[in-house]
Amino acid sequence: MEKFARNEPALWMIQLFRVSKIYPPNYPALTDIHLHIEKGEFVFVSGPSGAGKTTLLRLLFREEEATEGQIIVNGRNITRLNGARVARLRQAIGLVFQEFKLLPSMSALENVALAAEVVGMSRTESRRRAFHLLRELGLKDKHDARPPTLSGGEQQRVAIARALVNDPILVLADEPTGNLDAEMAEETMRLFLKIHEKGTTIIIATHDSGLLRRFQHRVVLLQRGRLMADSKTAGRSMVSKVEP
Amino acid sequence: MKLAQALFVLRRVLRSLRELVWTHLLTSGTMAMTLFIFGGFLLIQENLQGLLRGWGSRIQIFAYLENGLSPADLQSLAAEVRAYPEVESVRFVSKTEAWESFKKTLGTQSGVLEGLPPDILPSSLEIALQRAHRQRASVAGIAQRLRGIKGVGEVEYPDEWIEKLSLLVLGVQWAKWILGGFLFLATMLIVGSTVKLAILARKDEIEIMQLVGAPAGLIKAPFIVEGMVQGIVGASLALGVLWLLYLLARYHLPASLAILPSGDQLQFLDAAAASLLVFLGWLLGAGGSWFSLRRFLKTW
Ligand SMILES: Nc1ncnc2c1ncn2[C@@H]1O[C@H](COP(=O)(O)OP(=O)(O)O)[C@@H](O)[C@H]1O
Ligand SMILES: [Mg+2]
Repeated sequence: MEKFARNEPALWMIQLFRVSKIYPPNYPALTDIHLHIEKGEFVFVSGPSGAGKTTLLRLLFREEEATEGQIIVNGRNITRLNGARVARLRQAIGLVFQEFKLLPSMSALENVALAAEVVGMSRTESRRRAFHLLRELGLKDKHDARPPTLSGGEQQRVAIARALVNDPILVLADEPTGNLDAEMAEETMRLFLKIHEKGTTIIIATHDSGLLRRFQHRVVLLQRGRLMADSKTAGRSMVSKVEP
Repeated sequence: MKLAQALFVLRRVLRSLRELVWTHLLTSGTMAMTLFIFGGFLLIQENLQGLLRGWGSRIQIFAYLENGLSPADLQSLAAEVRAYPEVESVRFVSKTEAWESFKKTLGTQSGVLEGLPPDILPSSLEIALQRAHRQRASVAGIAQRLRGIKGVGEVEYPDEWIEKLSLLVLGVQWAKWILGGFLFLATMLIVGSTVKLAILARKDEIEIMQLVGAPAGLIKAPFIVEGMVQGIVGASLALGVLWLLYLLARYHLPASLAILPSGDQLQFLDAAAASLLVFLGWLLGAGGSWFSLRRFLKTW
């Protein structure tokens, strides 16, 4: 199988060229977004609820198709893709959601291993990798636990383990701390930082401006579907404007 | 698909068959009903055809001969008819023989023949046809040719009931496909909706598989394989019930109801018909799942 995450010497992980998304019948969720993200960057996509953060991420893992403009991920144009290529794109991306999206009938280990198995890794190897990842993320005793018996923070860590099991080049997280209390949110964010330190590009959508102040990274601000500010080009001062 | 993925599909199918055994059996049962009705028609058709063949072996053409033919004329006439490629055998029935057998037929009432000359009935040729030609068109054609032979008078053959029986077979044949076709579609819809339920029950799992980049084929395969298994089990159920009914009919049908010529037995579906039924079951399951998946799975 052709690997999506083939070595790509260029600088950019993500390039959006004048991207717009109009939900049918004619609701403009994103308008004219021009945005570049380097490989290895850590970026917050921020803005009030309804600003278009989720839509932006969904365009990147091709859950939605851009209405206009071009989207390049790791040097590949993903604006128009058939089903097989969407699958391949997603094998290179780790996804984390606010609501965890874990299967309650499977153990933590099985939840993580499933993601590796369905892309062609053997059952044994999948479980081995899942086992090590869970241990690494501090869930050593929770392999056999079913998600409903875990705390929110633990569930999110299982979800992060699943996002990492296929060695993604890019991690997209949509409000990953939205369902967590402050302490667990903090812990989860540290995990993302750790992953980032290993060179993975990370994009986190959040409306929590507290996170942006605590973790000083690039912030892209959306408002009503438009890119209002970008700390990379405007300096950190803009963060103070992001009060909800 | 890689081996690991094929094994994954297999494990999922086995798990689903184990965990949802009653749901699957219910679907199999639905399919079995359709296949049972279709198979029933097949069975009836097959036996009617057997009947037709059995009676066909007794299809003969009677060519009545004119008076005053010399033995030499008779010889050459019989030889000519015997040379027809469609003809299996020719038997000469002399006037005397005809008279005797007619008398025998009349039995106790043979007194009415008193005083009639015994050569009043014509002599005749009884012509049996080769198996392939025991059908109306051939029979009529040969009769026509016989009429053209010098020395042959009337030509008769049993016509009506061959035609009626052929029509019946034709009717069963059509009913099988028409009724069977409707049932097939109806069952496919039912199978489709049970697959829809199965998809809804595993909606989250499917969504997650799609999000982590599972190929579409891997997501669909378990449902389609399950459908195939259901179909084959359904067909086996239908065959089993048909077999029981067949045994019942064969050994417990009162003799007075037996329409078959003595000696002939009811036949069960042959290997080809049974395979057709299993194939239809397989198709029903796979097709129902496939249609349903097309409608309910998100595609890009
Ligand atoms: N599938 C959809 N169809 C129509 N409108 C949508 C759809 N998804 C999102 N929207 C609208 O697009 C806007 C942006 O949504 P979203 O990207 O979810 O914002 P955010 O994640 O920043 O809260 C919202 O007004 C939302 O109602
Ligand atoms: Mg959102």
